[in-house]
Amino acid sequence: MPALTTSTRTLARTWTAHQLPAARAACSALQTRSLSEASASSSFDSPFKASSSERTTKIPSFAKYRNNASGESGPKVFQYFMVGTMGALSALGAKATVNDFLVNMSASADVLAQAKVEIDLAAIPEGKNVIIKWRGKPVFIRHRTEAEIKEAEDTKWESLRDPQPDSDRVKRPDWLIMLGVCTHLGCVPIGEAGDYGGWFCPCHGSHYDISGRIRKGPAPLNLEVPVYDFPEEGKVVIG
Amino acid sequence: MLARSCLRSARSVRPVARSATSKTASRSTSTSGPSAEEAASSWKTTVLGSGATAFAIGSVAWYYHLYGRNVDAMTPAEEGLHPTQYPWEHTKWSKTFDHQALRRGFQVYREVCASCHSLQRIPYRSLVGTIMTVDEAKALAEENEYDSEPNDEGEIEKRPGKLSDYLPSPYKNDEAARAANNGALPPDLSLMVKARHGGCNYVFSLLTGYPEEPPAGAVVPEGLNFNPYFPGTGIAMARVLYDDLVEYDDGTPATTSQMAKDVTEFLNWSAEPEMDQRKKMGWKVLAIGGILFALSVWVKRYKWAPLKTRKLVYHSVGAAKNPATPRPSVKLSEKQ
Amino acid sequence: MAGISSSIYNLLFRKNTVMLGTVFAAAFAVEMAWDTASASIWDNINKGRQWKDIKQKYLEAAEE
Repeated sequence: MPALTTSTRTLARTWTAHQLPAARAACSALQTRSLSEASASSSFDSPFKASSSERTTKIPSFAKYRNNASGESGPKVFQYFMVGTMGALSALGAKATVNDFLVNMSASADVLAQAKVEIDLAAIPEGKNVIIKWRGKPVFIRHRTEAEIKEAEDTKWESLRDPQPDSDRVKRPDWLIMLGVCTHLGCVPIGEAGDYGGWFCPCHGSHYDISGRIRKGPAPLNLEVPVYDFPEEGKVVIG
Repeated sequence: MLARSCLRSARSVRPVARSATSKTASRSTSTSGPSAEEAASSWKTTVLGSGATAFAIGSVAWYYHLYGRNVDAMTPAEEGLHPTQYPWEHTKWSKTFDHQALRRGFQVYREVCASCHSLQRIPYRSLVGTIMTVDEAKALAEENEYDSEPNDEGEIEKRPGKLSDYLPSPYKNDEAARAANNGALPPDLSLMVKARHGGCNYVFSLLTGYPEEPPAGAVVPEGLNFNPYFPGTGIAMARVLYDDLVEYDDGTPATTSQMAKDVTEFLNWSAEPEMDQRKKMGWKVLAIGGILFALSVWVKRYKWAPLKTRKLVYHSVGAAKNPATPRPSVKLSEKQ
Repeated sequence: MAGISSSIYNLLFRKNTVMLGTVFAAAFAVEMAWDTASASIWDNINKGRQWKDIKQKYLEAAEE
């Protein structure tokens, strides 16, 4: 195979070496002939033909385009400034464009308007549960009694499945606010039920205590506490 | 390109060009003498050119006569009178809505239009910061009752409105609206300025265009009113705006046209609540884009300068000695 | 003049990374300046038309 390739290549090379001068000569002969004929005895004068006196090899001068500033850094600073400004403005535009697309992905105004729920706490008496809807999920609000607060705080939380002190789960001890979604498989637990006086999930039998911590049953975690705030006395804003 | 090079060569080698032209033109008439030849050819050229032009224009005209004209499916009465072009201030490229007018327009909507027309796409929250303060909008929302989530028994209770609620509709559904209005459905006004041909001009003309009585010869069906701007001229809505119908809290005299103008601007806002922001952003983008374009032109020239000023010089060295085999030598020069 | 321009050149443009940093810093600066400038121009063109121009009236009315 290599032998074949080499031989072919050699053949090709020799052929070209032989043929090329002849071809070139023929070509130039053709050119010269047409040129001489055109000048000598043609019935048609090309309008594009330059007159014989005019030189076709006039070299244009670009002198007037040259930067005549003395020194080198002046023009350079200007050039880099222009290029840099274009880069900066493009970056600005690109940033604005990307930003717009990202904003597009975030929640729309009507969703955001419903993302916060304001609840009047004065209507909830001590020792009562209230369930409200927030972002499509139930939220438990429990106005705890003194005894319940004491019970929740005195529990030995270190040994629980999801150890968490009561103080981490409430902002004010008398108000327990958490999402009413069982951390096992998402059922809604029943209030004031179960072995620990808190919540009981009827689906698979998870028992939560009065602080919403998992005590017994399959659920792995305590009931989730949403973000909430007390902007003024007797009002809570969830979300 | 060809034409340009033709011109250029004609300028430089005029005598050659002239002789060439006369030769090409005279090729057809080779028998007569040169002067008669030229005269005949110019006469023929004129006739030929004029004839071709006349034929082209004529065929276009004939085609337009056959197929080009508008065919109107409707008479002008069926289409409705074209509304006058009014010089709306807020439709100018650099102008926002006049929010004082929006506030007045919303008052007109609430006191007049809202008894029949819904505005379903406008929630109370969008009034905040454009037309009302938060407290005003909250108070307004609480005036109306909305369905709450089902309670423990599955009953749906009523609750006072919140900022996230939408403006209430006067009728429960389209059927109720038709039943209350002799079968005519008062359309939702949220996008009305965008939805109707003529936009603001149409709405304003319609509201103020009711004549005292229909013109002689106009056929107004039973239960309809005459309005020349409404397609078909018979409109179920009667004239609603009369002078001093509402009392503006900013003391503006509530003439018919003032109320119509305010409510039209308000409806334009409800159709395009983003307009203020859009125009502002548009100007910003145009300005930055203009600067960027100028800069990019400069940078293009800057980057191309070495290429554009490069010279290829062809020296035919051996041409005199041996014309059959010229040895080309290309010299690249970037200086001078 | 030459001294200033050469020092600018050496300071900002000589190293590619520094130039890149300059460009991005300038982009942030320009964005802030441009936002401020265009907002003030816009507010000047639309003086008295926007909600922020008439808001005060209704806030005061609510307080009374």
